[in-house]
Amino acid sequence: MNAPGPILNAPIPLAGPAAATLSDLALDLHGVSKTYSGRFGSKKVHALREIDMRVHRGEIFGLLGPNGAGKSTLVKILMTVIRPTSCRGLMLGKPVGDKNALRRVGYLPEHHRFPEYLTASQLLDYFGALSDVPRAVRRMRSAELLELVGLATWSKHKVKGFSKGMRQRLGIANALMMDPELVVLDEPTDGVDPVGRRDIRGILTTLRDQGRTVFLNSHLLSELEMVCTRVAILVQGRVSAQGSIDELTRDSRRYEIEVGPPVGMGDQTPAHVFLPGALSGVSKLEPVSEIAAPPMAPPMSAGANGSAAIVAPAAMVIRGTTNTGIPLTIDRFGIRVGSDDATAVQPLIDALRAKGITIRAVRPVRESLEDLFMKAVMDPTTGKEYKPGAADVKP
Amino acid sequence: MRQTLAIFVDAYRELNSKKLFWIVLSLSFLIVLVCGAVGIDAHGLTFLKWSLNFGPNTGIMSKEFFYKQVLFTGLGIKFWLSWLATILALVSTAGMIPDFISGGSIDVVLAKPVGRLRLFLTKYLAGLLFVALQVLVFAVAAFVLIGIRAGVWEPRLLLAVPLVVSFFSYLYCICALLGLLTRSGIASLLLTMLIWGACFLITTAEVGVVTGKAFNDQRVELLEKGITRKQKEVADLEGRQDKGAAAVMTGAIQLPIAKKSLEGLEAKRTDALWWQTFFRRMDTSAFIVKTVLPKLSETTDLLDRSLLSEKDRRDFTDDNADTPEIITSDDPDARVDAKKVRRQVIQHKMTQPIGWIIGTSLGFEFVVLGICCWIFCRRDF
Repeated sequence: MNAPGPILNAPIPLAGPAAATLSDLALDLHGVSKTYSGRFGSKKVHALREIDMRVHRGEIFGLLGPNGAGKSTLVKILMTVIRPTSCRGLMLGKPVGDKNALRRVGYLPEHHRFPEYLTASQLLDYFGALSDVPRAVRRMRSAELLELVGLATWSKHKVKGFSKGMRQRLGIANALMMDPELVVLDEPTDGVDPVGRRDIRGILTTLRDQGRTVFLNSHLLSELEMVCTRVAILVQGRVSAQGSIDELTRDSRRYEIEVGPPVGMGDQTPAHVFLPGALSGVSKLEPVSEIAAPPMAPPMSAGANGSAAIVAPAAMVIRGTTNTGIPLTIDRFGIRVGSDDATAVQPLIDALRAKGITIRAVRPVRESLEDLFMKAVMDPTTGKEYKPGAADVKP
Repeated sequence: MRQTLAIFVDAYRELNSKKLFWIVLSLSFLIVLVCGAVGIDAHGLTFLKWSLNFGPNTGIMSKEFFYKQVLFTGLGIKFWLSWLATILALVSTAGMIPDFISGGSIDVVLAKPVGRLRLFLTKYLAGLLFVALQVLVFAVAAFVLIGIRAGVWEPRLLLAVPLVVSFFSYLYCICALLGLLTRSGIASLLLTMLIWGACFLITTAEVGVVTGKAFNDQRVELLEKGITRKQKEVADLEGRQDKGAAAVMTGAIQLPIAKKSLEGLEAKRTDALWWQTFFRRMDTSAFIVKTVLPKLSETTDLLDRSLLSEKDRRDFTDDNADTPEIITSDDPDARVDAKKVRRQVIQHKMTQPIGWIIGTSLGFEFVVLGICCWIFCRRDF
């Protein structure tokens, strides 16, 4: 794909003085529900249950969730493909379902099937006309968009001969055809090679930089993490978490200090053997009977001898606080400091160095989107993953 | 308007991509060309400049009748466009609605700022484009050809366009409904053909009922006359008892025979009356059923009614005094005139009100399309 052409370099025009009073929300959803009524004695299925969601103008918003969580149902409700059971939402300031609002919304559905008898430029022209884009604008824009997605040389070729990745690129061009304020993309990188994915990410950030809103539904968490300003995680038809990635991972931010034993102690000695003694001046520690947190990466093999004041078995962790009250956890690999403030770590480093302990790494850590996702899809009461699909209720 | 036009252009492109569309169009042209090459003269059929010396000649029918009724209406419309081309058109278009609503296709279209009702109706009308283009080309080519070959420039030939399109639309609305319900082009095609077959059978049965009714009405009439005659004969024979001995003698011999014959006629009349009631009831039932269903062959038959002149109509229905009566019945008491029966059947066909034929058929289409729209507008895709 090529650098964004003039069409994507143009910022969204605001509609005169009224623009100043427009809401800064591209999507403001309240109580969106969808229930598939049970027929012939089958169970009712609650695909979506009272979804509240806000998407700000000019951001890339990611929608995550396991299979059957209701992501595509929500997207289809926004695009009027599915009728909601209840919905009090607004899209671009108009009630969800308002066809006029759709003039300003670009959409790439998942598993789309474009008419195979059309050429790439005919396809853009057809769907552009359905969006009520004037003919002259369609011609100009389709050429630019095909250039943008790297299909300029394929404009006269029929879709029938396109690979999956090419069809996906064409779908993205189609979603941008009506110069949308909001772009809804359902799995846009599905079937696209790594270079194409990078190009698509480039287009998404360009769209965001122009003030357009991108609503992204994808399973590829690492890609979402790279581009999304905010995300929502849907589980069994409900919003499990919603916010910016920073907000959602704030509680998980910490520093990890990976250490090795001091000179004279065996290389295989686990950290929780010698660390309590080394940190006795700067912390208050007590042994814990079971492991309550995952070990730090990378894992290291650990021995079982030592002479610290508090001696813990190899499989245990030691918890406590620094003298300033910051929580600490020690396991066989090192120390986990419950703060993202670098100054809180300095006294610990000083104490470790004073005792001759080898500091292998000091790193700021936060949960990845994948960690967040995995946490969201786990049932806290059972500790197991939620059953895939929407929750169903007897009629 | 831009959106509606886009759907029509897309429908044309879709048809254009189908080989069958061009095959049918080429065949239509070919049929017109072959019909143009065929003609009649005083000796019989002609092909280009050659006289074949057999078949119909100008002594039996005029050139105009031959081209308009035999070739254009009979072969072109009733055989080619109403049967073969319609089957091929259904094969081509049956998949349009199922493809349109298939997952991945419909999502993109429904996300556009076009109402669902408008979207469906436009798509439906676009589906009729196949037949509309075919019949338009055929009718215009036939109009020109008949003008050149028979010297008759008959603009009413172009009535074939709305009539054949209406005929196809009755079937296509069923196909669209079945496509919406089954989401399968093949299933909707086969079921539509089945319903078409059922309509054909009902029409055939109706013709049978009308024939039976006409036959039986005539039979009752003949039997009534026979009974009246026989009653007079019996009364006459009974009156002879007051006359001479010879007359009494003759009456005494003939009276029982006449009375027995009268009883036989009355029994036949009772039987014929039962059948008359039966056929009348069947006729009423057929009328009710036909009123509800689309009038397929009747719609294309309207072209006959439009193109036939009064003379042609008389020729067509054998309604002139010169042609001999054809007696066909084993019953010597009720020798039914088959020509009269046929005339009545044709008369029944030719006098069905146009408003009833078109109005009730369009009513059927309207109802079926209403159901389609209701399903399409309410469905979650």
